[in-house]
Parts: sequence; structure tokens; C-alpha cells
Amino acid sequence: MNPELSSFAARLRELIASLVAAEVTRLKSLKPDAGISDLIKSEPPHIGCYNHEFNALALELFALQFKHNSAYRKICEARKLTPEVVGHWTQIPAVPTVAFKELELTLLAPDERTTVFHSSGTTEQKPSRHFHSAESLKIYEASLTPWFLENVRTDLRFTIYDLRLICLTPPPEQVPHSSLVHMFETVRQTMGAPETAFVGKTAADGAWTLDFDAALAALGNNPQSAICNPQLILGTAFSFVHLLDYMVERDLRVELPAGSHVMETGGYKNRSRTMPKTELHALITERLGVPRENIICEYGMSELSSQAYDSKFHHPSSIIHQRVFSFPPWARVQIISPETGREVAEGETGLIRVFDLANVFSVAAIQTEDLAIRRGGGFELIGRTQLAEPRGCSLMTA
Amino acid sequence: MNLPNYFLADLPPEAVLSPVMIAEACQTLKRNREHYLAARSTESLIKTLSRVADGWLQADNPFRQLALELGPGQTGFSRETLARGLDNFFGRLTRDDFHALLVQEFGDAKRLDALTATASGQRHSRMAIVNAPEFQVHIAAGNIPNPTLTSIVFGLLTRSAQFVKCASGSSFLPRIFAHSIYEADAKLGACLEVAEWRGGNAALESALFAGADCVTATGSDEALAAIRAQLPVKTRFLGYGHRVSFGFVAGEDLFGSSAKKIVARAADDVVAWNQLGCLSPHVIYVQPGGEVSPEQFAELLADELDRREQIEPRGELPAEDAAAIATRRGIYEVRAAHSPETTQHWCSKNSTAWTVVYEADAHFQMSCLNRFIYVKAVADLTAMLQGADAIRGKVSTVGIAVPEDKAQEIATQLARWGATRICPLGQMQNPPLTWRHDGRPALGDLVTWTDFET
Repeated sequence: MNPELSSFAARLRELIASLVAAEVTRLKSLKPDAGISDLIKSEPPHIGCYNHEFNALALELFALQFKHNSAYRKICEARKLTPEVVGHWTQIPAVPTVAFKELELTLLAPDERTTVFHSSGTTEQKPSRHFHSAESLKIYEASLTPWFLENVRTDLRFTIYDLRLICLTPPPEQVPHSSLVHMFETVRQTMGAPETAFVGKTAADGAWTLDFDAALAALGNNPQSAICNPQLILGTAFSFVHLLDYMVERDLRVELPAGSHVMETGGYKNRSRTMPKTELHALITERLGVPRENIICEYGMSELSSQAYDSKFHHPSSIIHQRVFSFPPWARVQIISPETGREVAEGETGLIRVFDLANVFSVAAIQTEDLAIRRGGGFELIGRTQLAEPRGCSLMTA
Repeated sequence: MNLPNYFLADLPPEAVLSPVMIAEACQTLKRNREHYLAARSTESLIKTLSRVADGWLQADNPFRQLALELGPGQTGFSRETLARGLDNFFGRLTRDDFHALLVQEFGDAKRLDALTATASGQRHSRMAIVNAPEFQVHIAAGNIPNPTLTSIVFGLLTRSAQFVKCASGSSFLPRIFAHSIYEADAKLGACLEVAEWRGGNAALESALFAGADCVTATGSDEALAAIRAQLPVKTRFLGYGHRVSFGFVAGEDLFGSSAKKIVARAADDVVAWNQLGCLSPHVIYVQPGGEVSPEQFAELLADELDRREQIEPRGELPAEDAAAIATRRGIYEVRAAHSPETTQHWCSKNSTAWTVVYEADAHFQMSCLNRFIYVKAVADLTAMLQGADAIRGKVSTVGIAVPEDKAQEIATQLARWGATRICPLGQMQNPPLTWRHDGRPALGDLVTWTDFET
């Protein structure tokens, strides 16, 4: 175990914990709609009370990753961007997510790697590999849990621990390389929900499907059931499509208790028919009785350790009606012009780049392939659908 | 210049097309053809078409001016790219070209007008005449205008009424061309309709297909299959699926000034229509052994593309297309940092205007286009064909720069392998009027023959 990295990881966990603790105290004295998000919601992306601290931490982490990760170091050297010349976190070289397919972008020695998260996608493609150890998973979980709890807000009558959890994915033992399912499992353990919360399964070809009987039973589509606690349903967009299509075919409808929430994430990856977000959300409202304000979208990927949410609380301005994704204060996003490689202006479209301090043991600066519109300190997601098919010639892309 | 409302594509964007409008337009086209086109002589049609084409080559031609003025905003191509593409296209619509085409396709330039006999026909006491379909429908995919304009020209030459259905956002140049025909000969223009809608509109398309004798379409295999499934058995269908193209440069030719010229010709093919056509190269394969190595060829090509950008800029791209290039560059930047001996890349600064990727690996690679070209080293032709095996059967054009004494042998090997067009590098996006699209007859698939045994 590298002592420099361990020390950094421990400090980061303390920082996250102190942010969360400060918020709990603050929340008690504030109106219900306030939260950690207030720290960033009114600020442009790189200004704010954490700017100085974030920058110092980012530069320190860059120096460590440059020093200990030769695969990353080569990329930085090719760009002539080394710790000696980089003075701001925005200058730190970002690696494209595709590099996780080709290189071992990890600071963990082979015998330290207990877990590897793969990018989702079709099986014949070479997946991304994000290696983890017990220590790096601790950071991953320390990052995901508070920001999840911050974003999946319940109303005042209930705490998150009162919600009944349903995960529309296979359980972790069936998909050990899914970072998403690891995240759901972490949430499940945090909430103290039973293992039966997972109602998905993997088919023979590895595709994710649902155990529809289990899903419907969990949703309380049972006249005898007298459960009235609100539910929290987590799933991918395509798993919701599977569930909703099944319900539409059978003309089923459930009215989940008030205060129920839905969190959906990810694209369709050819695993179901695709539909626009607004249509998916309308169908969720129609079939499950969960209103739009209780549907939260998540943006995350196996190459990151922090996630962004489009929770309504992060709205930088009530004038804009689109909901805006925000990362937690220990991760920052830039929207990068594909033409110039520089950050775009407010309201313009570019590629999402994330600097995630919680990626201590891999690479903190990640260049994604996803397009988004810059909105305040966050972004409005456009996604990757168009990129996946460059003019019908996607057969043999790298 | 304001274009009058002659065609459905002239309607304001908010106008909604209905199946009734489409059906009525088809009826009108057929009626007009009967009155104005069916009895026209081929020679008079050639005269009109070559006059229109010649007009487009003149700097003061109002249609050309309109295309160059509004084209960049409407099509994404820069004014210079449009000008060169239009010059190449219209420069090949001369009377001689039309005659060569008719002789190639029908053995005699008068076949469309009267029963005629070739020398062989005379020996066998046989004459023949060809009839074209009364009503042709073109479903145009619309990356670049040439295929659509060619379809219109062939349709007029064979005296068909024509309905050109363009993909949404791509009717601009076909529409201006149609206006230029209308201006030259209003009766001819009245046998032509141009409209635009997003493909897959079943109501409009069934109205359109109902009266069609022949449907030509370009697009993905899925799109073609979907169209074909909607057509009655009696309707002739000519589908042109996606094809890819590449270049081959022999090492022997890469010396001194010859090498520079070959690099410039490769750049011509990358720049033409921003590489968006099926005839544009994704990869230039380069053989080592010359004074210029494949890596150096790639670097020279990068220099040349940079120079071209100054005189014939690529133009702006939508964010999705620029992001595709930026993302693809990211892959090669990482690979180049780790294995510079097998991967290198050169990129335009502060833009996605052009990109050259050198790879020692000979496997064919689809480009994301818009002037993003791969240069790959191959030991010889056999190695190249092995590298391109994944696209065998999907190849349109191979542009070659090889020693003259070996060209025929190389072309034969490429033909046996399955390439349907082999041309000099630099001419890939500039096929002659007589070009057999995807290896099929240029006009022969449209017509029906009548033999008269005397």
C-alpha cells in the first residue's frame, strides 16, 4: 500500500465527512430545501468557498498520480503537462474514458486489486477497467453515500430509512463488475434494506432482465398488501422500460405511496427500445404514480467514483426549467468545446470532463464522451446517442 | 435572389405536407410528363441539360451564386468546398459525356428515340429500343448532393417524371438545381418535384410509392430494406447501400516531387465534400520502400491538409460531429503517447478541421469523416486486402497511386477482390458520368428494352 496515497485518501474521507457533518448541523437550522448543494448551486463552477482547498487537493493528487502511475505519466508527458508546470486543476491532463480499455490506469499493485468495475456495453467490446481495493472502495462509498442521500430527498414525514428499496438490477453477486450495482448495494446496506431488494437477474447471454413477478410483488401489486411506506426504486433507463412495457402490455398500474421516489440512470445500450427522457418519466408517473419531481436522474460511470444528480434542489435559477446535474463538492465538472479543447461558455454545448478527487487510486481527471450543455455550476445532459453511430459506420470503430 | 414557389421544398418550413398533397403532386407530374416530356428527343434533352450544367460553371450564374452564398449555412460545406464540388460535378455534364453514357449503356445514342441496330444487331437482324419508367421516385440520403443531382439528370435524360424526396435538412442543393432546370425549360421543370421530410413517414411515403414505377434510394441497409418492404412487387427498386472507399499508394512512386504530388492528390480526396461521400477515402494505405516512409507520408498529408484549410476550409460542424472527432483524437493521443512507433497523430490547432492518424496496423478503420484520415502502412497489395477484409463486398472506390506498368495488374486484383471502381488517387470523389454506381449499369437498371427481330 502506498503510504502517500493512503494518507491522501484518509484526508479526503475526513473532508467529505466534515462537509456532511457541517451540513447536518446547518440543515437543522435552515429551511428544508437547503443543503450541501447551496455551496455550489449559486456559484460558477470554479469559484466558491472550496475553490482554494479543492485546487490544492487536486494538484496534490495530480502530483501523486503522475509519480506513481506510469501509464498516466506518459500521457501527461506527451502533452508536456507535468506537476512542475500545472498550477490549476483545470490544466491537469484528463484521460479519455477509452484509455481505461487499453491501459492499466491504476495505482494499485496487481495483488491489491480486489474488485474491477467494467464499463457497461455490448459484450464483444473490450470494456473499461477501473480497479479497486478495499481502501479505494472505502473512498468510493464515502463519496457516493452522502451525495446520494443529499439528492434523494424525502419529504418531512419520512427519512430515507423509512423508504422501501427496490433495485431493478441483478444483485451484486451476479454482476460483480458493475459499478452501478455496487453503488446500489452500498445504498441498500446504508438503508438496511433486505437483499431481496434486487429484482433483476442476468440472462444466459449476460443481458440484464427483470424478475417481473418479484418486481410487481415488491411494488405492492398485491391486493392483500397493506404496505404504505413510500418506495425508492433504483434502476437503469432500460430496466424501467422493461418494467413499464410489461405493465402496459398487461394493463397494470400501481399507485405507489406518496413520497415514493425513482432514480434512473444511464442510456439504453440497445437493451430495450429507446425513448426520450420526458416520455420515460411520463410513463413512470402514469404506471407507478411517482410524480416528476420525485424522479431523479443520475449520471455516473465505472471510471468515476462520484456521481452527479439532476435533483431539483440544485437548480441554479428558477427561470430555467430543465433540471441540472451537479457533482458533489469534491468533484468538479467542465464542459469542454470539442473544437478548441477549452471550456465552453454558459449555455453552450460540449463534452463533459470531470475532475473527481475520489478517484484517488486511478486518474482523477476524466474526459467523457458525453455531450452536455453548461448550466451554472452543473450541466444539462445530452448524452452519447449520436456519437455511437457516426453516420451509420459504427461497425468497426475503435 | 428569391426562388419562386415551384416545388414542395419551396414551402415555408412550417408548412405541413399531407398524403393528399403528395398524391396530387404525383398525378400532376405524370400528366406533365405526358404533355411535355414523353415525346422529347434525347438530343434536345441533352442540349438543355448541358446548357444548364454549363450555366452552373459560370461565376455570374444566379443559381450558382445562391448555392455558394447560402450553401455554407444550409449544408455545412464552406463556399470553397461547394464551389469545387459543383465545378467537378457540372463539368462532367457535357454533350460528349452524355453521348458516351448513352453509347455505353445502350450501344447507340438514339436508343431512347427509335428502334436502332448496332453493328452486331444488324448481323443478327435485330433492332431494339428502350423505354424508361413513366414515374421515378428518388429517396435521397443526403450527405452530399451528387448522387441526388445525378439521379435527377438521369431521370430527365430517360424522360421520366420524377419525385425527389430528400432527407430532412438536405433539399437545399437539389432544390436550387431543380429551379435552374425550371428556368432553362419550364416544361421540363414541371416534370420534377422536390420535397423534404424525415424518412419513415408512412402516410406520405405510401402516397408517394403508390404510383411509382421505379424507386431509387440511397441509405443504410436497414433504410433500404424498409423502403423495399413498402413497394408493390411490380415496382422496380434500385437500392444503393452504404459503401466505403480507401486509397493505395505504392512505395515505388514516393520519390522527390512525385511524392509531393501524390500527397496533394490524397488531400484532394480527403477535402472533397469533406470526405462525406461513399467514394471518399477512410484510409490511405501506403507501402514502404520509397524515399518517403508511410509515417512521413502521413506527416506530409497533415501539412497539406493544414494548407488546404487556409484556402478551402472545412466549415463548422454540429457539436455531435465535432465531439466524435475530439473523442476519436483522444484515443489516438493515448496510443501515440504509449506506442509512438506504431501510432502517431496530427491535428489542426484549436479546431477539429483536419486530423491525420498514422497506424502501423493494417486493419481497415472507419473514419469519423469530416477530414479525419487514417494513413496505414502495408507491405504490399495482398497485405492491404487482408487488412481490408472486414469491408470486403462493401467497397466502392479504391484510389490508387502506383507505377503505370503495374496499374493494370493491381486494378485486376482489386476488381477480383470486389472493388467496383478503381481510379487515380485524387479523383475518388469525381467519377465520370459513365460511372457504374456500385458496379451496376448507370442507366441500364432504369430502362426496359424492346427487341425487334426483323
